[in-house]
Amino acid sequence: MYEYQCNSPQHDWSRRQILGGLAGGAIGAATGLASMFEPAVAEEIRKQQRQVLFVWLDGGVSQLETWDPKPNTEFGGPFRAIPTSIPGVHFSELVPETAKRADKLAVVRAMSTQDENHSTGVPRVQRGDPKNRGVTYPFLGSALAKLRPPQNDLPPYVWIKPGRGGFIWQDAGFLGAQYGALALGEGRPPIHINRPAAITDEIDDARQQLRRSINDRYRQRRRSSDIDAYESSYDMALQLMQRRDLFDDSLLSPQDIERYGTHPLGRHLLQARRLLEAGVQFVKVNSYHWDTHGDNFNMHLALVPQIDKPFAAMIDDLDERGMLDSVLVVLMSEFGRTPKINSRIGRDHWPEAWSLVLAGCGIKRGVIAGKTTPNGAWCDSDAYDIGHLFHTIFRCLGIDPTNTEYHNNGQPLPIAHDDCGPIAEVMA
Amino acid sequence: MRRTVNVLIALAVVACTPMTVLGQSLREVIDREIEMHAGGALSLPCDDASFMRRVYLDLVGQIPVADEVRQFLADEDPAKREKLVDRLLASDDYPRRMQEFLTAMLLERRTDATVPNPEWEEYVRLSIADNRPWNELVAELLFSEPREDKQPQPPEKFFLVSGRTDMHQKTRDVARLLLGRDIMCSQCHDHPTVADYTQADYFGLFTFLQETPDKAIAEFESVFVAGKKTTGPRLPGGDAIEIPTLEQGQEEESHKFRPRLLLSAALPKADNQLFKRNSANRFWYLMMGRGLVHPLDLHHEKNPPSHPELLDALADSFAESGFDIKQLLREIALSNSYQRSSQLPDDTGENAVAPTTYLASIPKPLTPEQMAWAVMQATGNLPTLLAAPAPEKSDFTYNDYINGRIAKMPDNFADAMSLFVGVFSNAPGEPEVEFNPALGHSLFLMNEPLILDWLKPKPGNLVERLTKLDENERLAEELYLNVLTRLPTEEEQVEVNEYLQRFQNRRAEALGELAWALIASAEFRLNH
Repeated sequence: MYEYQCNSPQHDWSRRQILGGLAGGAIGAATGLASMFEPAVAEEIRKQQRQVLFVWLDGGVSQLETWDPKPNTEFGGPFRAIPTSIPGVHFSELVPETAKRADKLAVVRAMSTQDENHSTGVPRVQRGDPKNRGVTYPFLGSALAKLRPPQNDLPPYVWIKPGRGGFIWQDAGFLGAQYGALALGEGRPPIHINRPAAITDEIDDARQQLRRSINDRYRQRRRSSDIDAYESSYDMALQLMQRRDLFDDSLLSPQDIERYGTHPLGRHLLQARRLLEAGVQFVKVNSYHWDTHGDNFNMHLALVPQIDKPFAAMIDDLDERGMLDSVLVVLMSEFGRTPKINSRIGRDHWPEAWSLVLAGCGIKRGVIAGKTTPNGAWCDSDAYDIGHLFHTIFRCLGIDPTNTEYHNNGQPLPIAHDDCGPIAEVMA
Repeated sequence: MRRTVNVLIALAVVACTPMTVLGQSLREVIDREIEMHAGGALSLPCDDASFMRRVYLDLVGQIPVADEVRQFLADEDPAKREKLVDRLLASDDYPRRMQEFLTAMLLERRTDATVPNPEWEEYVRLSIADNRPWNELVAELLFSEPREDKQPQPPEKFFLVSGRTDMHQKTRDVARLLLGRDIMCSQCHDHPTVADYTQADYFGLFTFLQETPDKAIAEFESVFVAGKKTTGPRLPGGDAIEIPTLEQGQEEESHKFRPRLLLSAALPKADNQLFKRNSANRFWYLMMGRGLVHPLDLHHEKNPPSHPELLDALADSFAESGFDIKQLLREIALSNSYQRSSQLPDDTGENAVAPTTYLASIPKPLTPEQMAWAVMQATGNLPTLLAAPAPEKSDFTYNDYINGRIAKMPDNFADAMSLFVGVFSNAPGEPEVEFNPALGHSLFLMNEPLILDWLKPKPGNLVERLTKLDENERLAEELYLNVLTRLPTEEEQVEVNEYLQRFQNRRAEALGELAWALIASAEFRLNH
């Protein structure tokens, strides 16, 4: 049995289908709310915010079948390389759509990291690994919720993932549960976002008004912080309820559905675009089962187009909306795959030399940073660890890791590995 | 047998001699210390209604029903507050409330299937009902001889929730929860900023938690300073216990020197300052909403108590009383400091008063269990839910319910409780101390069909009773007494009246909305 078949959310998903219950349930009809796509609103959000789209291909996509092909070499595999929109740069033929947008991207081909296990690699990478500090570091989305509190009432860190949703406090690490992720299982919103039909807008307004006036009376001669915090949890809830249209699939254009694809990763990326347009600060999209220890090439032939097409559509859409200047896009896994092809025609875990893609806010366009040896096995330039990536991300978002730190019970902690710096070649 | 004797002594103490310090009652010492360090005007004493809600929530984890409130407000006996405290402490709800509090504090919502929850809950509840001394309970948490069938005893759950093999987690739990010191940093080096959290203390405790004498020595090395050191079982700041080297055939001796058994004898003692202070601080926090040392697990030199003499007085009289929890809570409840209004004194700026002064009562968030009890009580659905038979083995889980895999709303108390705990509790391992209102809480109160269902008229529930009242003034009284444990003000009377006028064509629904708004308010969410 291959690892990708075990413990995968697929099990969970099919069990749920058998049980016949769906998270979220039907979304109430659009209620004539102001569209999130109004140019003026979008403009305002752009001015205020820097946002992140973090796409995570869990299990480890092969660099050789995507961003760093080595055709006709010992380990190259059967696929050809094709030219990209950057003269002289080639991607695998499995990513033709992204190749056409290479001039808008920065590809780091010399990632070299420590962990070759999923169980340690995923958290190590997503928590930025600033050495063993004796505390659990926050995942990137939680870190930003703390370091760059968003200027709207939307949840700061939304995670779109297959399987079940909920509030994923674990991601917050030592920052404390409130910085965790709001996970949308299958992209569906929390079940309680749906107001029961019996409560109309008028009635909801009336009951919320009562609630506020009771709070105003209670507030007299009391410290306001508790009451403010409680009120703001309602504001955030109401804000999210107001934007139920963001989850209403009937509002999607058939063209968009076609461009992003109807498979989970495509649907989830399209959902992510809607959330980014609405102003959510950090959207993570997870896709599982990239761990191709067996039958690597057929697996990639089937899987890679599921990221190539919607990812290209996303880059187009962000660019068209002027959002590439304010949204940082990260596309990565916990490691790459071995150049050596194993006896099951698979590739195993390879943290030594692998690739990732960056784009958008603060990122230079049309750059390839670093290179690997001709057989793809090793880095053949300065190699970059996760610390470098985190320095790069923070800097792109206007946070200087050399003068910003966390405080945990009085203990100062660096936000990124202090032996590393940003990947200068990709910085705009 | 010994237990019975202890109970008798404890009862005798309640009856005759209240806790004293140098001839003053503990409650007088509390008030003296708080007033002495006040540095500003004190808040007024709270009114009877506020006192009643507060003391109900603190001692029985519940709010009173309207008739009780009316009776209490009408009672002219000057000793009525003291009588109420004693009635609550003697009720069956007190052990249940303490079980809920201690379970959340000691297990921190972490789970373990080896000791079923009901067994643990019954163990804690009965221990509290017998008013067993706190040090005895802690001794059992630290070590309970396994039963003959090798099954763990209920108190073993305390360690089981930190995982069978994670000795570091167990060390951290004992240090934090029983000694008030979060010494996790000291696993790898002396604490960088807290001088009194040392690596040697960490490993002294770590060694104490081992199961067999041959493991009762730990070698450790700082990641900063080279050089290996060793320690035997040792309490922070104390001396290491000598463990003889035992040969084969000395099983009986070896049994006696099981480190964790020795810890259970050494830690919960009156001469252990850390244990005594941490215990007193946590029960003080339960009643007062903030530890004299706060955060509760950061007792150290640079985080001194806000009232050092008071913490010592509480710790010493708690120890002298034989660690009598009921007595301690009673003394605190009867102090003026406990019975102050949560409204700040008139002449202070809104946020000028630091909570460390206890000038005004500090509002506490309702715990998940208190929220569940209080919402069911306020809406008048509690009797029906308690009467509904809980299925022998319920399939209900919070996760399945909120992910839509269970469509049926909870129709019995146990399932409703587990839904509330799922919604309002913190993540496993996160202490529930501060008020952390979250998106999920408010979405739940706004849109959960169960909550809205409880606000529809059903035989005997609040909204049904309100629909039978024609006179809006009576109705507003009934509403406020049931939900907020107080009478409405004139302004609130007007508000209720206007709302009912505005929605006169849908009066039953409007009544549900009025009750909803009170339940969704900060005044309800906080124990003030």
